[in-house]
Amino acid sequence: MMIAALAVFSFSLPAHASGPFGPPQPVADKTGGLHTAIGYWRQADQLNDHARSVIRQTQVYSEAGYGWSDRWDIYGRIGVSDMKVINAFSSASAATVTSKNDFHDHWGIFGTLGAKGFYPINRALGIGASVQGTYYFRDFADDMSGAQNGTPFSTELNVKDIWDVHLGIGIQGNLPYDLKVYAGPYVYYSQAKVSASPNIAVLRFASGPARVRNHSPLGGFAGMDVGLGKGFHLNIEGRYAARFSVGAAVTYSY
Amino acid sequence: MKFSASAAILLFLVFAGCAHSPNQGGSISPSGSLHPSQPALTAPESTQNAATTPTAATAAESESGPANLSPKNTDHPPIDEGKATVAASGSLSGSAAAGDTSTTANSDVEEEDAEDETDHQKITDISDPLEPFNRAMYHFNDKLYFWVLKPVAQGYSAVVPEVARTSVGNFFANIGFPVRFVNCLLQANFSGAATEFGRFFMNTVWGIGGLLDPAASKKIGLQKQDKDFGQTLGIYGLGTGFYINWPFLGPSSVRDSIGLLGDYALSPVTYLNPWELSTGVNAYDKVNGVSLKIGDYESLKGAAIDPYVAMRNAYVQYRLKKVKERGPMREAPRPKGLVYLRDKEGVPASDNSGLMAGQ
Repeated sequence: MMIAALAVFSFSLPAHASGPFGPPQPVADKTGGLHTAIGYWRQADQLNDHARSVIRQTQVYSEAGYGWSDRWDIYGRIGVSDMKVINAFSSASAATVTSKNDFHDHWGIFGTLGAKGFYPINRALGIGASVQGTYYFRDFADDMSGAQNGTPFSTELNVKDIWDVHLGIGIQGNLPYDLKVYAGPYVYYSQAKVSASPNIAVLRFASGPARVRNHSPLGGFAGMDVGLGKGFHLNIEGRYAARFSVGAAVTYSY
Repeated sequence: MKFSASAAILLFLVFAGCAHSPNQGGSISPSGSLHPSQPALTAPESTQNAATTPTAATAAESESGPANLSPKNTDHPPIDEGKATVAASGSLSGSAAAGDTSTTANSDVEEEDAEDETDHQKITDISDPLEPFNRAMYHFNDKLYFWVLKPVAQGYSAVVPEVARTSVGNFFANIGFPVRFVNCLLQANFSGAATEFGRFFMNTVWGIGGLLDPAASKKIGLQKQDKDFGQTLGIYGLGTGFYINWPFLGPSSVRDSIGLLGDYALSPVTYLNPWELSTGVNAYDKVNGVSLKIGDYESLKGAAIDPYVAMRNAYVQYRLKKVKERGPMREAPRPKGLVYLRDKEGVPASDNSGLMAGQ
């Protein structure tokens, strides 16, 4: 037995992660070259629905990039990510009970393209800009069941066509021992389409198809990059935009 | 069932081959037993330099893709086999003479040369009781190369750029990690096993799934350990057995044929389903490999009067070199000094040292 949807929600769902920006200065040396990396990113953010729902993602990715020098660099990433939306299936009505509260799905494949440019102010300081966009090749889905006024129901929530774009500007400081620290502001936008089959009117995320986006378009990032020797670099970065996100990557430059 | 029967036959063959070969090479039969002209094959330096010749290099490649190394046709006029072999390794003869003059002043080098000469006598005397069959298979593989493999590889290389083909080769080399890793362990080559593991991890993670080979870069310096079961069996002392030239697979020996079974069992591609996929992937690997070295086999044919003999010798030399790389398995060295002191002096070494210090 199904319950028809009546309401259309007006919130945004995804604030998707693209992984860290990395230091503004490309990892390649002056003559340029290829680099590869493996990274981990733990994303948390807030949606712009009235409940300010929290979304969490854990990403693991592989990156390959090419720098024409230590000024310009492009890179691509491919990886997998899960998605968890806290209390996505919870109901405000005491008459509705659900089998679970959180939306959770595993292993969505995503790809990221990015580019960065860097201008050294002097030997110790430099400024750079990064832009990167991500698209998820696989939709996220989760099903649940419950009862409303004693009438059982079940539905599947789908999150698809997920993409985002980030633009950041950072200042970098070069310290001894091949250590770089950087920080700066960024703006981002992400969106996705959400739909449920069938719609459940009393559930926030399943009341009908909608296009959703992130709550806060502004954030800040800071990180450090340290040379490990033999061409390896460790990059650790944190971001804040409504929620704190953090990640790390190990890069190898050829 | 078929597998068991094949293994039984191969075991029989290798023991039969071992009967001809009491030495370390095992399978090497007395000179001239099958090739009366073998004395002509024993130019000492040809063994020493074999690895640097196109012939040997091609034979080395035959380990991974023997099918493209099949011999030439037998349209040439009948010739003395010994002369043919000398001609096949003729590029080595000149350096051999030069080597003789330059090494007379150095006793170490002389000893090495003498050892090489002995080795060469062993090398070139591999038993070849299946020569008619082997020559037929050379002919088959030769046609297979020129009529099928080479045209396909040329078309493939015309479409796919070399950098992509190299990456494909890197990928297949990377997934061949279990073969090399296990054989390093079986050979008690723990350093090699660690190197292989490091290479696999590095190339899989930072080499984009093995498409790139950063582990072999100057910065990292982890070189591929080219180990296989045939080599492991040789290190264990198993004889080479007689020479076999397999259709599609190319030059081999009884021992290396057994080794192929082990390599086959450890190769991840073997376990792809359905079997057509596994076969197709292997064929693609071969075509990709051939596309990167078109001309090697042609060089062999151009340099050799009888490519069959040249290929056979080069193959045996290459395999013996592979076995010698590791050397025979030996017992762990005993602490001779300590034992000597205990045996001769009757007191532990530390006590002996104390006595010496006191005196």
